[in-house]
Amino acid sequence: MKLNIETHGGTTLAIAEGRLDFGAANGFQKQLEQELAGAGSSAGGARAPVAALILDCGGVDYVSSAGLRVFLVVARAAKRDGVAFSICALQPAVREVFDLSGFSRIITVHADRASALAQAGHSSA
Amino acid sequence: MNEGRLAVPGDAAQLPVLAHFLQQFWSTAGLPAAALNSFELALEEIFINVVMHAAHAAHAAHSVHATHAVHGGSVPRVEVALALTADGVTMALEDDGPAFDPLSLPAPDVAASLDERPVGGLGVFLVRQLMDSVSYTRVGARNRLSLTKRIGTRAAGE
Repeated sequence: MKLNIETHGGTTLAIAEGRLDFGAANGFQKQLEQELAGAGSSAGGARAPVAALILDCGGVDYVSSAGLRVFLVVARAAKRDGVAFSICALQPAVREVFDLSGFSRIITVHADRASALAQAGHSSA
Repeated sequence: MNEGRLAVPGDAAQLPVLAHFLQQFWSTAGLPAAALNSFELALEEIFINVVMHAAHAAHAAHSVHATHAVHGGSVPRVEVALALTADGVTMALEDDGPAFDPLSLPAPDVAASLDERPVGGLGVFLVRQLMDSVSYTRVGARNRLSLTKRIGTRAAGE
């Protein structure tokens, strides 16, 4: 899994790409938790404290239960840290397992990046 | 090619090999790409279940760390068979690991809140949802899980 990070004001946009299967899940979780840790602590860095974490899954073409588990763990950690967490741009096959799992009810999902950023209160400009 | 068969050690590192085998079968058979995801997911979930269950069983038997025990000759052999049917695809996974019916696992509460939601148990649930039929049989010393799903191909009338 590849993860590219962009900062839009107080929002961290994590753009994921690849196959989120059993083999990729642990590493991907660590990457996201790192972003969240950076988001949670405003400790002296040049970086502004982050209020929101958006995970863009437009480039993720496969997610198994191991990947869903990562979404759940990260969503929980974000809630604990007071960071607004959302996911956007799910591909149809991924959206299907997301819906079947009931995750659409517990994790905020936006159709695309623009609406996720708008919701987070920042423009992508 | 109407049938395909591949045997691998029950090691999670073999997952990409299995996924590649399935993708090859799919494209050779000219099956619609949109229907592949359900089978990829079912293959991963069931295979990983076999791997994990064998590791846990070995752990219990040897009371050492599962990761070590699993290298002590208790890795099951897993065979995957794919076949085209009149209106879809059948996938069967057989392994010589300890007897284990994944369909006996309780269904997760998919209506639970973020905080109440357990982090596991979704895999088999998703397989049941995505496949038309899933059945388990113990054949001699082997577990056999058979999965079928109808696929709307341009050849099939319905």
